Amino acid sequence: MKLIDVARVIRSKNAGPTTLTIDLMFNERADFECALAAPSLKPAAIARLYGLDTAQVRIIPYQAAIALKIVMDRKLVAGDPGDRDVYGAQQHGPFLGIEI
Amino acid sequence: MSAIDRLRSELTAAGGGLKPLRVLSASGQLGYGIPDAAFAEGLRRKPHVIGCDMGSIDPGPYYLGSGNMATGEAMTRADLAKVLQGARSIGVPLLLGTAGTAGAAPHLDMTLAFVREIARGEGLHFRLASIRADIPRDAVKRAVRAGKVSPLGAIPPLSERDADIATHIVGQMGIEAFQRAVTAGAEVVIAGRACDTAVFAAIPAMLGYPLGPTMHMSKIIECSSICTTPGGRDAILGTIDDEGFTIDSMNPVRHATPMSVAAHSLYEQADPYRVFEPEGMLDTEAARYEALDEHRCRVSGARWDAAARLTVKLEGATLVGQRAVLLAGCGDQKAIAAIKDILPAVEKTVRELVGTSVTTPFQLFYRTYGIDGVFAWPDPPATLPREIFVMVECIAGSAEDAKSVVAVFKQYLLHHGFPGRVSTGGNLAFPFTPPEVVTGPAYRFNIHHVMEVEELEALFPLSIEDI
Repeated sequence: MKLIDVARVIRSKNAGPTTLTIDLMFNERADFECALAAPSLKPAAIARLYGLDTAQVRIIPYQAAIALKIVMDRKLVAGDPGDRDVYGAQQHGPFLGIEI
Repeated sequence: MSAIDRLRSELTAAGGGLKPLRVLSASGQLGYGIPDAAFAEGLRRKPHVIGCDMGSIDPGPYYLGSGNMATGEAMTRADLAKVLQGARSIGVPLLLGTAGTAGAAPHLDMTLAFVREIARGEGLHFRLASIRADIPRDAVKRAVRAGKVSPLGAIPPLSERDADIATHIVGQMGIEAFQRAVTAGAEVVIAGRACDTAVFAAIPAMLGYPLGPTMHMSKIIECSSICTTPGGRDAILGTIDDEGFTIDSMNPVRHATPMSVAAHSLYEQADPYRVFEPEGMLDTEAARYEALDEHRCRVSGARWDAAARLTVKLEGATLVGQRAVLLAGCGDQKAIAAIKDILPAVEKTVRELVGTSVTTPFQLFYRTYGIDGVFAWPDPPATLPREIFVMVECIAGSAEDAKSVVAVFKQYLLHHGFPGRVSTGGNLAFPFTPPEVVTGPAYRFNIHHVMEVEELEALFPLSIEDI
């Protein structure tokens, strides 16, 4: 199934100028469990989408909000010359097409 | 009797415990407009403390680098007047942190100037405390030499040169700075760069409310109604007692549900369970969120672990150069299909041509909106758009040089003859001319590091004046 059909929220934002965080929030625990187990949402797969090393991507399950948090290094510090998105709020694009 | 002594006697219950303390967070970042209805409702609830966050590192390096505020002057003055008059009208302490967006000396000084003018104009009298957050370069360099400074995230280790070239260096103060101000009898506290939580946690912590819930509540209300559903910027009230706290949005349509409040720990955070502050760490792993009713949420269970070593987060930005941009659209399918080859070809020509007239180094970037301007997609889209917007950016040693480079780029991009071209009238649509716009100085963060310190008080000096 497509992530976008079951996630209530798919968002990105900086967590400070050196880190990008993506939050996936679900209404149903079953969908959250599915996302947690999905190969397409493992650090290696996400690192490939973002041009990073696997070690630069962490996944943190947050049960209290039925959510998955993905944390990754920003390639450029926010606002550095060449940055495309100072706030990091529009870096979630690839997740809108992911299958879980 | 000082404000803090008044609160202490007011909040001590008969048996020696503590009555509930109400902390009003006036709005999201101050200076963009404070929704009136919610703030007025907040005042009606008789809060014991009013706080507001006035800045952030999130808007990027320009504000810290330049000394300018992100918020417009008129709105900033209006918001300051609103919170000042509100707090004075009910006689409660007002605490503002990270003055003027970035909390360095120029931002703090401008904010203080506005506050003094407002007080004069409105006939307000109070004890004002201001707290500086500027860290001396020598102190940072000493700490670097002693191996006491480490990167926070993906940024290189700090060098002594970094301390020299940052235009301002600030440290994020914690609750002890605000507590000193309140102990000195301040009724209004305006602080430079501060932890968002410190503004709201300082007084409850001083009065003896449990630190875990105090810090947790502060972390939530500092963003005002971002933690509600639907979210917004309206005032929010946190009420803390000796077991936990309640969150109550002052806008009746924004509900603080257990889910929306729990989900707030995700917002702009790398870790939903742990928040690091100068004096310790907030751990929300065992926090419980319960609905009091459909509008309010009760939270308990967070823990506070005092730090073994005190640390201060340092921030600094350095000037990179002067920036100019070219803004132009294109609606030609053939040009759009070839744009990824056209732009580097034009760049090559431009660099050869400007070599003698622009002698300082410059950087050139281009973004093709409609294809990959926002996100660095590895592959082209399945179908190309009908139109694209191209932004070419030059950062050079001077505005004149940046503008020259971008002007040459414009001319060669406009007339570039690529294979298959039919639009020989020109490849670009300018919404206006001149299409080269000088946007001013460009900065980058060169300091985003953690410094171990022996004590905090000396780093964040207090200044008192009776207005």
